[in-house]
Amino acid sequence: MDRNQITKWFKEPAKMANKYSLHAIYFCTGCGIIEVPPVITARWDAERFGVIPVATPRQANLFLITGYVSVKTLKAIIRTYEQMYEPKYTVGFGSCPINGGMYWDSYNTIKHLDKYIPIDGWIAGCMPRPEAIFIAVTHLWTLIDKGMANAYVRYRENYEFYRRNQEMALGKLEWPPLYPIQNNVRVVENA
Amino acid sequence: MHKSIKEQLESIFKSVKVTVPEDTRIIVNIKKAHVLAVLRFLKDRRFDHLALISCVDWIEEKEFELVFILTGYMHCDEEDKGQERVHLIVKTRIPRHEPRFETVTEIFSNAEPYEREIYELFGIKFEGHKRLIPLFLERDYEIPPFRKDFDTRRYVKEVFGNIPSVENNK
Repeated sequence: MDRNQITKWFKEPAKMANKYSLHAIYFCTGCGIIEVPPVITARWDAERFGVIPVATPRQANLFLITGYVSVKTLKAIIRTYEQMYEPKYTVGFGSCPINGGMYWDSYNTIKHLDKYIPIDGWIAGCMPRPEAIFIAVTHLWTLIDKGMANAYVRYRENYEFYRRNQEMALGKLEWPPLYPIQNNVRVVENA
Repeated sequence: MHKSIKEQLESIFKSVKVTVPEDTRIIVNIKKAHVLAVLRFLKDRRFDHLALISCVDWIEEKEFELVFILTGYMHCDEEDKGQERVHLIVKTRIPRHEPRFETVTEIFSNAEPYEREIYELFGIKFEGHKRLIPLFLERDYEIPPFRKDFDTRRYVKEVFGNIPSVENNK
């Protein structure tokens, strides 16, 4: 443990514990997941950074979206994200969640993932190397320290807009809203 | 072996055109009425594995081309040991304005997902198929998305481009 940080531990123990125990949910979309097995196993060993994969969204607080998101996957991503406990952090991995990447004119791929769920940070590249995941994790530490990794707060505050965008892409959603929705937003049906 | 299959096909079916571009490829062009008979015939001649059904949209000729790729396990047997696996490709054309075809699931039951996939991506109805529902896609498309007259860029612009970003809403 870094001795310079010991005051931080006394001031905000919960935040520090959160920061050093990022549990990533096992969720594979697209091809980016191919970089994750070397990251979590002995070659790069993500546990040095406190990142370990966990099986269920209830145990996780880091959501890595690894690769292109199809319309069907978006539904699963939203359900997984809404099941995670706060504080929760999302990182888009690879160029496809950012703007569609090489699937920018595909009929069945979601182009901008941040229109549907909030994202804390992006890792650009196609593919990013496994080292990029660790750089992202250290950046995420800085953001958490400064209180800027607040995507889940943005989700709560702008939930009606996110929900409306989700319904525009997926049609009528089968599950009830996570947060109460004020009626000042027009909800598009059967978009 | 190729020669015997070629001769047999040409003697039994009149409209058939058989070409052998390589040692391990036999291409059979045939009218759509005879496809099921040819497939049955080939299945009895030990081409008993349907590897793939594919579809090509020849929009200028106003036709769809269905491609059935058959293969078998003859090269594993004693008499043909050491030979390479032979792929037999059956091609047929159906008119574009009437995208209908008979199902081959009664001959090859593993054709079911292939036919469902072609149904959702090209809109070809396979008559007699017991479960002709979309395989992967969840959205409704006006034109099936793999047809050549489906404009993906316009579709993407209209559907995904019109969804506003959350920051602009505040």
